[in-house]
Amino acid sequence: MDTKEVVEHLVALKVMRLTKPALISPKIVTCDFKDLPGNILNNFLKDDATSVVQLETVTAGQFLLLPQSFGNIYLGETFSCYICVHNETSQPVQSVSIKADLQTSSQRIPLTTQQNQSPIMLDVDETLSDVIHHEVKDLGTHILVCEVTYMSNYNTLSSFRKFFKFEVMKPLDVKTKFYNAESDDVFVEAQVQNITSGPIILEQVSLESSNQFTVKSLNEDNNGLSVFGEVTLLQPQESCQYLYCLTPKENITKDIKLIAAAKNIGKLDIVWRSNLGEKGRLQTSQLQRMTPDYGDIRVTYENLPSKIPVDEPFNFRCKVVNASDRTLDLILKLRTLQDCSLLWCGISNRKLGPLEPGNVTYVNLTAIPITSGLHNITGVSLVDLFLKRTYDYDDLASVYVY
Amino acid sequence: MDNKPSLSQYFGGNEVPPASQFFDEIGTSPTDMIQSVYLGDSDVRPQTTSTGLFPPNVSTAFIQNTMPQEMTFTNVLPTVSGSTAIPATSLPDPSTFFDTIGPEPQISSRKTSTISASVLSDAMDGLSIKNQPVDKEADRRRDAWIPNEDAKKTLLKAQSSPKGSFFPEREVLTMPGLVLEEELADALQEVAVKYLGVSSAGVHGVVRADHVSRDEAGLRELLRTGYLRSAVNLTATLISAAGQGAGRMHRPTKHTPRSLQLWLTRFAVMCRIKLYEPLMREAEPFGDFSKPDMFYQFYPESYENRTGSLVPFSLRLLIAELPMHVNKPEEAMDRLYAMLNVIEQMITNLKECRTEDGTATITAEDQVESLRLWTSRQTRVLHSIINCAIALKDYRLATKILSSLAESGSIQQRRALKSALCRVSLLAGNVRAATEQCSMAQDLRHNICPTPDVREYVDLGLIDIAHGKYQDAYNNFAKAADQEPTNIMVANNLSVCLLYMGRLKEAIAVLQKAIHSDPERGLSESLLINLCTLYELESSKTNEKKLNLLRMLCKHKSDTIPNVLECLKLA
Repeated sequence: MDTKEVVEHLVALKVMRLTKPALISPKIVTCDFKDLPGNILNNFLKDDATSVVQLETVTAGQFLLLPQSFGNIYLGETFSCYICVHNETSQPVQSVSIKADLQTSSQRIPLTTQQNQSPIMLDVDETLSDVIHHEVKDLGTHILVCEVTYMSNYNTLSSFRKFFKFEVMKPLDVKTKFYNAESDDVFVEAQVQNITSGPIILEQVSLESSNQFTVKSLNEDNNGLSVFGEVTLLQPQESCQYLYCLTPKENITKDIKLIAAAKNIGKLDIVWRSNLGEKGRLQTSQLQRMTPDYGDIRVTYENLPSKIPVDEPFNFRCKVVNASDRTLDLILKLRTLQDCSLLWCGISNRKLGPLEPGNVTYVNLTAIPITSGLHNITGVSLVDLFLKRTYDYDDLASVYVY
Repeated sequence: MDNKPSLSQYFGGNEVPPASQFFDEIGTSPTDMIQSVYLGDSDVRPQTTSTGLFPPNVSTAFIQNTMPQEMTFTNVLPTVSGSTAIPATSLPDPSTFFDTIGPEPQISSRKTSTISASVLSDAMDGLSIKNQPVDKEADRRRDAWIPNEDAKKTLLKAQSSPKGSFFPEREVLTMPGLVLEEELADALQEVAVKYLGVSSAGVHGVVRADHVSRDEAGLRELLRTGYLRSAVNLTATLISAAGQGAGRMHRPTKHTPRSLQLWLTRFAVMCRIKLYEPLMREAEPFGDFSKPDMFYQFYPESYENRTGSLVPFSLRLLIAELPMHVNKPEEAMDRLYAMLNVIEQMITNLKECRTEDGTATITAEDQVESLRLWTSRQTRVLHSIINCAIALKDYRLATKILSSLAESGSIQQRRALKSALCRVSLLAGNVRAATEQCSMAQDLRHNICPTPDVREYVDLGLIDIAHGKYQDAYNNFAKAADQEPTNIMVANNLSVCLLYMGRLKEAIAVLQKAIHSDPERGLSESLLINLCTLYELESSKTNEKKLNLLRMLCKHKSDTIPNVLECLKLA
């Protein structure tokens, strides 16, 4: 990290990145005390300042060790560092000040120092120091630029700069999948993968829905406990899959055009922690789903029982929505296909309509299952009288017959 | 080593060395140690130890080498230092040392003031008893190990062959030899000479190494006084004398409990000073100690009916863990689980009232003792597995084993384990779980003492650090420091906190004070690294400060720190 220093300055600048300290333990070598070394090595261990009384043989120490390398830094983490200016001469140095900026590929961010904004005098062996924090919001190369200004021996302001370069990496890989359910609910699967070099804990993963949906997290059981158990620890490359159910708000469900246009799902908010609580936080950009293509007509079934005794008629409701831009004249046909286990009761070739764009009509249907098993509801067709086109609906739903 | 107690100090003055030291060094039943030397003597080359176990100069060495005063362990084994003689069997087995010794052994300033003369003389007597009857059950228990199927076949052959007619194949033999041939120089001395010059470096280890007797007692003295590299050199001499020196690798040799004790000592010290590369190569011929010549049954003529392994448990464990130190923790994990498997088999046998290897029945009393020893050894192996898991950052496994251990044991142990669980959670970054574990540890602590102690304050401080609340952490560490002002770890943590709070100068001052108030403990590897890190952050002119630390090291420490240059960040 150091850069070459050409001129001998009166003050020296040192910078240290403050990642979380480590917990260190001694080198554990023990003997039975009837062995040749007796208890001597055991006593070394017990006397070691880094060992834990009564649990000397476990390396879960309490002794903090300062960071010994710059380490990795990931998007969403906080970059903290200690900046220290030291008077290296044998007389006071006047008007010393530090200025720190962070240069990314796109911008230059002035880092707020908490204290010592105005130049001060540094006495012999005194230091001017500060801890700065900055939440990293860009990927790629960052350069920390530190500038120290002081009054030189010739009573002129002298200054020098030091540059510290580091790469910000991507910590997580988030993959999403969307399922548009018949009920207009949208299920979102979010796969969060740890692509850092060490294990992390996902402390919080939540979906903040857009204003078109309300969200329900499906990652907790009825008692509010996480389905992943106590610990959501991800080793490098491991991923964890979260599931959310989004229900469109009522003003949207009413209008098929609005539903078709409701692309924005929301944003995932992820908080993770790694070594000794080092925290990171990321929010994804707006997640967008592929909206279902309803064509001209959208047909769904409602109030359909899932289990039906054999030979007993059952009723359900067929919902027909005009998703086109013109008024539709429709005919509902009910046919019993070959080898089909459902017989239709009621009138076929019924005329539905005219149906204005965006409007809904409901048709009550009755059928009798004649064999047991899991059966698709087949044989429903709509005929568009204007285009003379027939739409078949053979795999919209199935019922279990027993 | 100015503070090294001298002979005259003890016998000239009225201060008597605490008896517990003797017990600690020598063992509550001195027979065992005698034995290990004994066996060595009787079968290999009597000339090396022919003067008997305790020639006069050796017993002198024992006294001379008693630890500096602050290192007494009265609190660790309080029963031992009592003035009434306690039968060795009623004492906690030494091997359970770290697992079951409960009392808070704060290395406190409390000293055993006076010990009745009789205890001392008893202890001395104990040393001189050579023909004390051998406790066969204790031997069997300690040495027990189940040979694998291949070894069993060979051992059966060895046992059933008529005298003198058993000639084992080369493949069944363990053939070790020294690899590290050159004498190791005193590392601290070398650095001191280089940076401070010959005059200020002082006279150090090599000279001392020449002063000790060339035997086990001398070896122990070198260990005790911290001349670790000299100790490694001496093990080389002794191992060579036992016929397993340089160039002996892959050649048939005679193993004895003594030779294996020497290897244990050598490997243990090499491990401590991180000489992993030669250590790996020297350990290689031993494999996993499963060759039949590692069992007493291989030598029916020398050991008659004795069973079990010549390999000390600690050596087996050390070698199993070894790959962990050279970045192969997975390999160490496999070896440790293999060990655990054998131990579990032995425990099963014991529970069925049979000996560890399942070949004979045992008495109830024997069974209790054996179970206690082997469950504690099982725990020790589990600890190593936990350490391996932590090295692998497999915090799930570490947490799982620690949690299962925390389900039983004394309140102190459970509390210590919960506190460890808190820290393992912190390592993983799971602050919520850490807080929960910490409060469980707190609940258990209520049964021990009403108010928080150092351990609890420190754990709380660590949780604060995880939250980034350094001021709160500082306050917690400060409370810990109120209770134990001389605790090095607490001082160190205070200093680390101060840095994160932007108070570098104070951070340095705290560490310097800690070192000056207790140089013996303060001059530890990790603390030196922290201090030199702070020096380097403060200024570009750090050399003089580092050299001061080096001078202190020369004054107060011997050759125990593996990497002085790295610690002091001397270029």
